[in-house]
Amino acid sequence: MIAALADRAYFVAAFLLLGVGAYMLIGDRNLVKKVIGMNVFQSGIFLFLVASAFVTGASAPLLTEPAPYVSPLPHVLILTAIVVGVSLTAVALGLIVRIYEEYGTLRADLVEEVGDGE
Amino acid sequence: MSDLVALLVVVPLLGSLVALTAGIVRDESGWAVALVTLAVQAAMAATVAWSVLSGEAISYAVGGFEPPFGIELYVDGLSAAMVVLVPAVALGVLAYARRAGPRSNRFYATYLLLVTGLTGMSVTGDAFNLYVFLEITGLTAYALVASGDRGRSAVAALKYLLVGTFGASLYLLGIGYAYVATGTLNMTDLASELAAVGYASPLVGAAFAFVVVGLFVKVAMFPLHTWQPGAYEGAPDAVSALIASLVSTVSAYALVRVVLTVFTPEYLAAVPLARTLLAATAAVSIVVGSLLAVSQTDIKRMLAYSSVSQFGLIVAALSVTNGTALVGLAVHLVGHAVMKGGLFLAAGLVSTGTGARSVTEYDGLAGRMPVAAGTFGVLVLAMVGVPPAVGFLGKWYIVLGTLEAGAWALATVILLSTLLTLAYFARLLERMYFRDAAEAAPDATAVADGGEGDADGVSTGMYAAAVAAALLAVALAAAVPAYQAALGPTVEVLLP
Amino acid sequence: MTEITSLRPLAAVLVSAAVIVPILLSGNRPNLRESWTGLAALAKFAVVASMVPAVLAGDTYVTDLGEFLPGVRFALEADALGVLFGLLASLLWIITSSYSIGYMRGLDEHNQTRYFAAFAGSLSAAMGVAFASNLLVLFVFYELLTVATYPLVAHDETDEARAAGRKYLAYTFGGGVAVLAGTALVYWLTGTVAFTPGGIEALTGADPLFARLAFALLAAGFGVKAALMPLHSWLPDAMVAPTPVSALLHAVAVVKSGVFGIARVVLDVFGPDAVADLGMGLPLAAVAAFTLIVASVIALRQDNLKRRLAFSTVSQLSYIVLGLAVLAPTSLVGGLLHIPAHAFMKITLFFAAGAIHVETHTDDISDMAGIGRRMPLTMTAFAVAAAGMAGIPLVAGFVSKYFLLIGSVSAGQTLFAVALLVSGVMNIGYFWPVVYTAFFETPEDSDEKPLIEGPLGGRFAWGRAAVAEADAAGGDAPSDAVADGGHAADGHTDAHGHGDGHAGGWERRSWTGGESTWFMLGPILAVALGSIVLGIVPDGAVFLRVVRLVVAGVTGVTV
Repeated sequence: MIAALADRAYFVAAFLLLGVGAYMLIGDRNLVKKVIGMNVFQSGIFLFLVASAFVTGASAPLLTEPAPYVSPLPHVLILTAIVVGVSLTAVALGLIVRIYEEYGTLRADLVEEVGDGE
Repeated sequence: MSDLVALLVVVPLLGSLVALTAGIVRDESGWAVALVTLAVQAAMAATVAWSVLSGEAISYAVGGFEPPFGIELYVDGLSAAMVVLVPAVALGVLAYARRAGPRSNRFYATYLLLVTGLTGMSVTGDAFNLYVFLEITGLTAYALVASGDRGRSAVAALKYLLVGTFGASLYLLGIGYAYVATGTLNMTDLASELAAVGYASPLVGAAFAFVVVGLFVKVAMFPLHTWQPGAYEGAPDAVSALIASLVSTVSAYALVRVVLTVFTPEYLAAVPLARTLLAATAAVSIVVGSLLAVSQTDIKRMLAYSSVSQFGLIVAALSVTNGTALVGLAVHLVGHAVMKGGLFLAAGLVSTGTGARSVTEYDGLAGRMPVAAGTFGVLVLAMVGVPPAVGFLGKWYIVLGTLEAGAWALATVILLSTLLTLAYFARLLERMYFRDAAEAAPDATAVADGGEGDADGVSTGMYAAAVAAALLAVALAAAVPAYQAALGPTVEVLLP
Repeated sequence: MTEITSLRPLAAVLVSAAVIVPILLSGNRPNLRESWTGLAALAKFAVVASMVPAVLAGDTYVTDLGEFLPGVRFALEADALGVLFGLLASLLWIITSSYSIGYMRGLDEHNQTRYFAAFAGSLSAAMGVAFASNLLVLFVFYELLTVATYPLVAHDETDEARAAGRKYLAYTFGGGVAVLAGTALVYWLTGTVAFTPGGIEALTGADPLFARLAFALLAAGFGVKAALMPLHSWLPDAMVAPTPVSALLHAVAVVKSGVFGIARVVLDVFGPDAVADLGMGLPLAAVAAFTLIVASVIALRQDNLKRRLAFSTVSQLSYIVLGLAVLAPTSLVGGLLHIPAHAFMKITLFFAAGAIHVETHTDDISDMAGIGRRMPLTMTAFAVAAAGMAGIPLVAGFVSKYFLLIGSVSAGQTLFAVALLVSGVMNIGYFWPVVYTAFFETPEDSDEKPLIEGPLGGRFAWGRAAVAEADAAGGDAPSDAVADGGHAADGHTDAHGHGDGHAGGWERRSWTGGESTWFMLGPILAVALGSIVLGIVPDGAVFLRVVRLVVAGVTGVTV
């Protein structure tokens, strides 16, 4: 069991990140921490995909290296996904700044309570 | 011809950049840019759709990299409907937004970017590419919701962002599993590779679960719909109309595409649990969405919950996987987009003209704004499924499809959903036509509150957009037999 | 039997829909607005009537508007059954239009423009129901009829009217869902929904379980508008609508569209033979028999005249359904003939009730003692129609009931024949008191009406209550208490009396039309006359010939 987990350490880590991130995203009341949770959650996915490309004993996908290669595709994909994630974070933080200006708090429950802020 | 497919995505993207740069030179030039861009895109979309519906599906390899290695764009009868729907609705809402809208160039740049994302989702044949377009659509939708000037818009947008990102991430995770299992991302290729891996494999099961649940968030199926009412309510009227009409619709299309093309009906046949997941979620959404809609007092929230219920119909049609239900699905996707978009536009008309935003404030509306009330009334009846409007035809095919599949429980729920829909819409009809406005009081307060309730604020363009939606809701019914015939080859490919 | 391609069925449907816009536009000029209605009514009747000769010769008129769904044409077809309903509705619309004008102006009702527009829309939908060539087209117009009549039910805009409107929508759309489900089942079983005299052939070979389910759904769905118990309760509530609506729609067009739907299902979708094979005729007949007895009993106790008429409608509609469900050719003739017969008689009764309302603002029968003096012509017409309802010879009701009785007996269904007779007796039971009180009583001198005024449960309960009262009063004889009760009832009657000339008895008006406007009197006398014509020379009036044609076409038996 432990050996099996050790073989898949990356995957275990990925799923821990997923769990932590999802918990923060849903459970935390602070808006900024929610966004951090979202980031952690996404990092878990990135790690999972990148790790999936690894092939034991393979070399980097360069023509000068001997076969077999690790798969290069997930890395490319994850680069895209990271860019998407960064822009999401930017938009989220921008919204939070606006919410803070309107309501003067970062607590989600208080914001809900105040309502329209007018 | 197939280059046109790529241009469909590129044109609004360029338009978005033009709108942004034009803003530096001259303020409020975004509307004109958006108009030209969307008109060009609509013309191209019509050409593509015509050739697809009268001939064969179009495939286009981006950058000359042949699938399954490169990204493939793929348009068949189903996506052709989406390709036409997106610019058409966007144009309609644009007519509305000229007077009502946010008017900044940034708004129109985002608007066109949203259209880009939606078109991309409609035409892509690559699972990861779909994720990228899903996120582009999401990001721009969050930004558009936040473009309302009230604090609540920002809160609604943030909630939408968090939940939406969670859904998209789940989708990505599911695609990750599929990739781990097969090593490919092209949709058609995935289908054969997944079959080769074996449907019993836990990797495939996990992929299906994550992808479907992730897209359920985007489509807003109960209980993953929580972002929707707030987002629709908080957004400016034009934006709620656009998002309500298109975002969930195209997401639902993506769900259909993934389930039918990537996982294929054989998968559903081999794994009964997968089919049950779809059917049960659909049934629960239909019932609970309607019940929640009945309990709402705010018009836009009520319409949002109505969407939850209506998309239940779509997923129900998907779950039985037969040709008749698929036709119903396509018809109802398009019909619902037109009807729901029109309803939001009409609601926007009313709140601009009288300040009325809640169910009780609709009392005696027929006397105050006869055209808006009439439009609302026609759309409501179409939504309930009064023949011969398009809402009825979609429902008819879906019911027939569920009967063919022997899904009796589902058929019963769908039939009864007519009455549930009636439950939340009939009270509006009654209030609009058979009650007198309580007093002028609610109007007066609304005017005092936010400067709303300004009859001059309602332009001809706004009326035209809403009335056009109502007319389309009835007229589209005439096009259904032809569309069904044209959909034949697509159905054969999707449901062998 | 040839199909004549023609635009006439479409014209018959559209002519009243086309005037909706002019009606709405000329809302400020009532005379112009009403002339649009009149014009459309005459045009519609002319179009329908122009099709009658060829239909009687065995031809049909068809308008094909293209494909609706695969295998289903959106086509209108004027066959004999359709012409029966279409001719009836369009003829009575002319008369009702005139009556509407008198009624609505007499009461100075609000929102008359909406009223006339919705009325025209309803007639369009009703005509579509009549000329639908298949179940799906029938369903389309059936639903549109619901939508178009909803504004008429809720017209008053009072809480009561809105509640009635809600109930109406809920019931009829619920029925619509059942019809839709049944239609989908039929389509799924056979791949077609086109009406075929004698039934769709493929249905006989279909799985009997599903065929039964489809029949039950269709019968229940159409049964809502046909007011079969227990789906009838929207109808009495809908009486809150203006009387012309109750008269034309809730005695003719709407309820008959339900009955007509059942007729189509029995005759042209399943066919009498298939219905008999499936064993569905007997349950339907049982429901109808139950309804016609129970509704009559309830009608006995209604004091509001329009509600009593409504329950009478519920009961009479079941005559038609019973005739269809017994499945014998003679009873089919009786049932179908009862469609026009009941229409003429019931519309007379409603017109009379409405005229009384407009002229004297009296709605309850207990306030009508001696009203025959005030409105002699109206009440005479009422008496004639009431006699017809009860099946007295020389009025329309007799002929159809005669066929119904013969049919039931010849089919060996004596029980149903007994039910028909019992109900006929009760018809007299609830109509005679109205006539009696109108002509032979005065407010000062009226008999007690134990059925209405007595406690529910009859003589025994009455006695006990009286005894209790007597005990409380300290040992007075029970008979005195009863007498006291009688007086109290009189007082009650007087307390409710209102309207002109009522306190000191009704003033006497002449028999030459001084009682009301000719806008209303004309229609009343016309429909009363119609009932008599149908009763005396049924073969001369076109309806019986059409009915015989329908039944011959379906069963091959000439009655």
